[in-house]
Amino acid sequence: MRVCCGLTAHLELARRPDLYGIPVIVGRWDEHVVAASEEAQASGVLPGMALRQAEHLCPQATFVLPDEEAVVRIRELVSAALYDLAPIVEVRDEGIAWLDLSGVMKPGESIRAARHRLLKAIGREPRLGLAPGPFSARIAASRARPGRLLRIADAREFLAPLPSRELPLDAEQQERLDLLGLRTLGAVAAMGPRELESQLGHEGRHAVLLARGLEPDPLEAWRPPLFTSAHRQFGEPVGDREALLFVARALCGDLADELGLRGAGAKHVRVRLVFESTESDQRETIVRHPLSSTAELFGLVGSWIKEWKPRAPIAELWIELPVLEGAGRRQLRLWAGGDGSSDEVIAAMERLQERFGDDVVWKLPLSIHGEVAPPHSWGGGAQRQRGRAGAELA
Amino acid sequence: MQAQKLEVAIDSIRVRFGSQALTRAAELPPPQPWLSGTAVDHLTGIGGLPRGRLALFTGSGTSGKLTLALALLAGATREFAHALVIDGGGFDPLALTSFSPELGALTVVRAPTPEIAGETAATLARAGAGFLLLTCEIPEHWLGPLESGANRSGTVIVGVIDTPSRALAHASSFSLGFSRRDWIWERGLLVGLRTSARCVKNRVAPPLGETELEIRYPLGTRPLTDYPQLVTEKPIHAAELESCVSAVV
Repeated sequence: MRVCCGLTAHLELARRPDLYGIPVIVGRWDEHVVAASEEAQASGVLPGMALRQAEHLCPQATFVLPDEEAVVRIRELVSAALYDLAPIVEVRDEGIAWLDLSGVMKPGESIRAARHRLLKAIGREPRLGLAPGPFSARIAASRARPGRLLRIADAREFLAPLPSRELPLDAEQQERLDLLGLRTLGAVAAMGPRELESQLGHEGRHAVLLARGLEPDPLEAWRPPLFTSAHRQFGEPVGDREALLFVARALCGDLADELGLRGAGAKHVRVRLVFESTESDQRETIVRHPLSSTAELFGLVGSWIKEWKPRAPIAELWIELPVLEGAGRRQLRLWAGGDGSSDEVIAAMERLQERFGDDVVWKLPLSIHGEVAPPHSWGGGAQRQRGRAGAELA
Repeated sequence: MQAQKLEVAIDSIRVRFGSQALTRAAELPPPQPWLSGTAVDHLTGIGGLPRGRLALFTGSGTSGKLTLALALLAGATREFAHALVIDGGGFDPLALTSFSPELGALTVVRAPTPEIAGETAATLARAGAGFLLLTCEIPEHWLGPLESGANRSGTVIVGVIDTPSRALAHASSFSLGFSRRDWIWERGLLVGLRTSARCVKNRVAPPLGETELEIRYPLGTRPLTDYPQLVTEKPIHAAELESCVSAVV
């Protein structure tokens, strides 16, 4: 496992890039601090403390109310932007983006692209960490300079001298660790999981595994959403077909942009015309191949609108895509070159074997170590490609 | 006179059917390069081997062209779903193991006759194989299908032929001539050779002349990170630029 972590500002702070560089505290009055900028944290403000206390510590800070919906929207956008860089991508509201780069052919390119996309989405250079798991990658990222990557080979060795405050424990559990004299992750790692479990409960066992670099928490892969739609409400009801087509094309363009971001395609398309009397007329179909571009979507929607004979002027036009699935170009960057035509090549090899005999096409037999087996094991001759696509014909 | 008539004809076609109806071959964009990560990338002029075109490595035996081609093949097995060797006889898979290839992606086609070699190469290029290494001649009548198939699918084709036929040399878009300068000995052991790689033909970019490569024979299996160092490049000799043949089609 090889995980890259990009650390940016909390997504609540990313909502207000105009406030970058000054102390900002996000939270509701009489509640706890949701997020604090680096400048506010320098004054001692920490997420989770009472807002009154934060105000006392940093009176010059700008206070912003949290907006959960906006944060969800930003998280979706960032996840979609990183989606094609790694098989598993997870983004959290705290401004943490993890990419599991296991199996990625060019991890360096993915990391570079992740840096650029995070910078574009959040507006600040991310700190990057590359380590064997999510926890160590996050800790590594927190110690990297903005825009730089800190690469860790041995997680346990890297974590050992760091303070045990890095563990995800509450204040009381941290205090108990302190009383036990476990002030570094190395000291925690030296404990037996059961010993610490008896002191701190389940979190104790979890903490030991984290400190040992065993990474007990798997990443949760982000998946594109399953439904999307776009609509336009007309000021005056529209009866002109050309105007309707013009609006439909614009809506298809918006949807295609969104699908492109999410690497998704529409499997089910529904168009709904709402009349002035609030009655509606709709048409829908399931398509064989997912539609994802403006041309594909408008090709279908436009043909419907051209032949539609609405019974009254239209007040609202809805284009809904109730079922989404991975489009043809989904995570294409992760494909090996020529994967798309792999079946054709295998079929071509079969045809050649039929014409010139089985011995024409050879797959090299592998030894147990993944190397070419010695020549004496080739005596069996070539074997047919048929039905063995992708497998070595040893 | 003929040139004037041709110009008039071209102008009239452009007036009638639009400025994009005819495009001069010299104005066409160069083919997309495949970045092999070896010194050859610098010599092509486009930063990598041209996709959809035939590249030829020529020169007498023991000039290092096959070692370089094997390094390219090993790189291709790690990047493409299918990397194939069209072998006219004599290809030794064990020679490839030192370059840490991805053997699951490698297929060897044994072609006992040039006719079979031509048909298999053209068929596999048309089907969309990522990389083809030719170690034998291709009959002239198969060169057209091979070129068009590769052009359509973007297959990278590298031919390693001591002395190519006129037809094969003409069909190639990029040709490197190798000649050995001297051997490299270390502690009494032969560890490699110095070879001169001269661009003798380039239809994808202006030619970049000649360079000297130091090719170290791989000893045992090396980690992937060491593999690019097996072929190192010395600065290109600018004085040789004029002597190179170049045409853009």
